[in-house]
Amino acid sequence: MKVTRRQFLKICGASAAALGISTTDLGLLEKALASQDGPTVIWLQGAGCTGCSESFLNWVSSSGSPPQTAADVLIDSINLVYHPNLMALAGQSAVQMAEEAYGAGGYVLAVEGGVPTKFAGNTCWAWSYNGEDVTFQQAVLDLASRAAGILCVGTCASWGGIAAAPPNPTAVKGVGAITGKGTINIAGCPPHPEWIVWVIAQLMLGKTIALDSYGRPKTLFSRTVHDRCPRHEAEEASAFGQDRRCLEELGCRGPQTRANCPVQLWNNGANWCCDANALCIGCTEPQFPFTQIASPGEGD
Amino acid sequence: MAKTITIDPVTRLEGHLKINVEVENGTAVNAWATGTLFRGFENILVNRPPEDAQHITQRICGVCPVPHGMAAVMALDSAFGVTAPANARIMRNLVLGANFIQSHILHFYHLSLPDFIDGPNMPPWQPSWGTDKRFDASETDTLIEHYVTALEMTRKAHEMGALFGGRMPHPPTYVVGGFTTTPRPDRIAKFKSYLETDLLPFIRNTYLEDVNLLAEIYPDYFKTGKGPGNLLSFGVFDQDTAGNVKLLRRGRAVNGSKTIRPVNIDLIAEHATYSWSDIGTGARIPANGLTRPRYPKDLAYSWLKAPRYGGAPYETGPLARMWVNGDYTRGISVMDRHVARAQETLKIAEAMLAWVGELDAGGPVYERSSVPSLASSYGLTEAPRGALGHWLSISNGKISRYMIITPTCWNASPRDKNGTLGPIEQALVNTPVENTDEPVEVLRVIHSFDPCLSCAVHVMKPGKGAKILTLSHSHGEAQPQPWRPASVNS
Repeated sequence: MKVTRRQFLKICGASAAALGISTTDLGLLEKALASQDGPTVIWLQGAGCTGCSESFLNWVSSSGSPPQTAADVLIDSINLVYHPNLMALAGQSAVQMAEEAYGAGGYVLAVEGGVPTKFAGNTCWAWSYNGEDVTFQQAVLDLASRAAGILCVGTCASWGGIAAAPPNPTAVKGVGAITGKGTINIAGCPPHPEWIVWVIAQLMLGKTIALDSYGRPKTLFSRTVHDRCPRHEAEEASAFGQDRRCLEELGCRGPQTRANCPVQLWNNGANWCCDANALCIGCTEPQFPFTQIASPGEGD
Repeated sequence: MAKTITIDPVTRLEGHLKINVEVENGTAVNAWATGTLFRGFENILVNRPPEDAQHITQRICGVCPVPHGMAAVMALDSAFGVTAPANARIMRNLVLGANFIQSHILHFYHLSLPDFIDGPNMPPWQPSWGTDKRFDASETDTLIEHYVTALEMTRKAHEMGALFGGRMPHPPTYVVGGFTTTPRPDRIAKFKSYLETDLLPFIRNTYLEDVNLLAEIYPDYFKTGKGPGNLLSFGVFDQDTAGNVKLLRRGRAVNGSKTIRPVNIDLIAEHATYSWSDIGTGARIPANGLTRPRYPKDLAYSWLKAPRYGGAPYETGPLARMWVNGDYTRGISVMDRHVARAQETLKIAEAMLAWVGELDAGGPVYERSSVPSLASSYGLTEAPRGALGHWLSISNGKISRYMIITPTCWNASPRDKNGTLGPIEQALVNTPVENTDEPVEVLRVIHSFDPCLSCAVHVMKPGKGAKILTLSHSHGEAQPQPWRPASVNS
């Protein structure tokens, strides 16, 4: 049997409303959600690990108003026509969904993973279409050409990330570098789910997102982790496993890393890296994962 | 007349997989599994500080990052000559266990179930293939509700893991010599609460029940997708410092036998005859592993190499673990994999409840050590989808070699040097295919292995003098693939 979108809303006890933003935005957002289908989103995966999708699925509203979970976003808010991990279809019939959206144009292209260019891109295929293997590079170029906006979900799509780490064995590049187009770079390895949903909400409201020089939303990535870390002024830790100590001398990259983790916290407020006495590894920075994970600057 | 169908991408799994299946008279008669992404992790790891391995290797896979962190710190502890305190052993197990629970629930509801139910009438669940959907309307409604509840449960499993792991996925807390987090009483209490209030009741009353319902409605899948019948487990969840006692033991079974044999890791070797890799036609043990990408290459059809034990293909995963441990020996099939996975989820969650009670809130979590100038070691553990091994060499205090053999390397491997098909390829042969335009049976067989392709294809290391041919993206004629399908599934 088929369940309609509205019936499904009922099943989930969810209603179309705001993503936890101001009441003046509510009217606009409700209008955007009033259509049977939200904005069409094509989500591609390249040289990545699916960690960004995993993180997105962990989203839960901090405001208490619906949509409250990632399921609500999928059901109520966006029209996710292509996502390799979630979609029911497979093979060419799945690719057809992306093709149809491409024909209509005006979709949001969300990219997870970097774009390999070595061997003419053949270290990563997006799919087979009419018997031909299509490289991820080609799929990104094609789909970017008719997208209304391009979201780089995670550090890999933004600047290459892990797979582009020295010596960059498969010549991975970020989506902006490959397409020459402006992208909204939702940095992080993985990005916090709130960052992903926040950007989607801004797009649905038709708002312009102010970006820093690396293409990251300023609202999310303006201040350093160290700046707002509760351990900012604390005594330095001499080894791992010491509570309430600053980790800078062990190699924490908090002082150079822009992200709101100390106030956002992770996994619905369960914890975050430094509160677990672990280093901030700088995963929202374009140079991540650097030539070594720990910062060499302050260590002994 | 035989018809070759292509499924690319195989959706609802981690990573990039292409499958070609030759179908004759409604039955699959041959199959080829192609891993279509590689990233070269080995080369990225070489020359880095050894401590980086746990962070870098977790990024191999965002669905099962924690096993990579675990395998890395096991190899590092051994190389550095350090023993992690009991608290660290337990927290490593608890965060790994949280990843198992999260991954198993995700696998059943979000990756596999859409092969059997008609999802809600909207993307990404519709359109879908309508072939062989047997649940009635009320069962379908219930399962869709559970799909949504399961999303909440996977989130909560991650939240539980983050209590000690710092964040999920990609916890930064696994370090050589122990763990960074202290087991504060408030975190212990919250961890218990996630298990007792949310996850254990869901696993017992919903997940296991739904798997049993699936088995009742689709009993023919107890006879589908057997594969080679050889089962391999490295074992996981050390219960003592030496790792001699594990929740799920190490061992292997040959051809469906209930006799469990020991694992000698020196008998593991990788073949690359059918891989885009230039290591010759022999086999190499991982401690001496070598991979040189070569694309295109005659006979080759996958970026995966073919690991073999004593020359034979082995299936790995929850069924192999539960079989080797004597917990599940009903049979080897698509449905046995689902049932064993669900039963394992309960076994692990129940064990975790006991482990969290063993944490010593004031006790040590970390033991200092220093980087050796020269060492070689390995770490063997299990990912949700099967046996995982990391082989590490350190020279001048830096990583000089890093080899990884992942579960999906075993399961989704291409043919070996003898032409023997990999486990998923073998499991696909003899699978009935009712409608070649909607080969859902093929998806069901593949999904039962819970493949994780990103895990499988990134241990390629370009070597000096590797022959590199550049192709245009439109490379149809340049690619020697004699088995290339004549017609393509739509």
